[in-house]
Amino acid sequence: MKEVTIDCLGEACPVPLIKAENALKEIEVGDLLIVQIDHSCAMKNVPEWARKNGHNVEIEEVDDGEWEVVIEKV
Amino acid sequence: MKLQDNKFYKKWFKDAWPYITGAILLSLFQIVTFATSGNPWGVSGVFANWGAWMFEAVGGSVDRWYYFSSSGAQATLDGGLLNDPGSLRNLGIIFGALFATLAASQFKIKKIKSKKQIVAAAFGGLLMGYGARIAYGCNIGALFSGIASLSLSGWVFAFFMFFGAVVGSKLLVKYFM
Repeated sequence: MKEVTIDCLGEACPVPLIKAENALKEIEVGDLLIVQIDHSCAMKNVPEWARKNGHNVEIEEVDDGEWEVVIEKV
Repeated sequence: MKLQDNKFYKKWFKDAWPYITGAILLSLFQIVTFATSGNPWGVSGVFANWGAWMFEAVGGSVDRWYYFSSSGAQATLDGGLLNDPGSLRNLGIIFGALFATLAASQFKIKKIKSKKQIVAAAFGGLLMGYGARIAYGCNIGALFSGIASLSLSGWVFAFFMFFGAVVGSKLLVKYFM
């Protein structure tokens, strides 16, 4: 199992979502993609997109206004 | 029980409200705005007035500018910031947004990632500001309030804004991915 982290801190929507989409294509089923974000609307659209495509998603609030969206590719 | 675990705190302050709740509240408050101030809700026109006041503060004069030539515009400028409903409302939006993000413990000063972001933000801001004034309205005054007033112009604005958004998205993917 591989873990890939993409740094989207300081990036506004929809950049984190497009970066997550591209990064998810590159990894294998069962791998984890961790998207670091600090734009609250990415906290909505990144998990929404991942869940709609059937992946497992967890959101962790790592600091004030900073989150990690953990996506397990299914 | 800690505040963070309180379900009403979570529901009202921490988590984002559903889009539908936001839509209903915006509709109600734009009616209140229209009824109390006599003008439909607008945002960007106020910034032109703020610019005029700043220019006057450093000794300039906009008396002969076509944009400010109507008696209504002159009355707003003479009345000052505290007598302008639009200015008070914009300040309310800024401080309300600050309160909302502080109450949710989500305030963060974000770092600037690249020089590209500065250039894009400044260029985009100039285009939006210029476009909004030349069109006599932004996506609030011309689009939202236009459609709410059953004016055809709001729909025309929406149609062309859609194409602007398509071009903007292409540029975004080209330069920021």
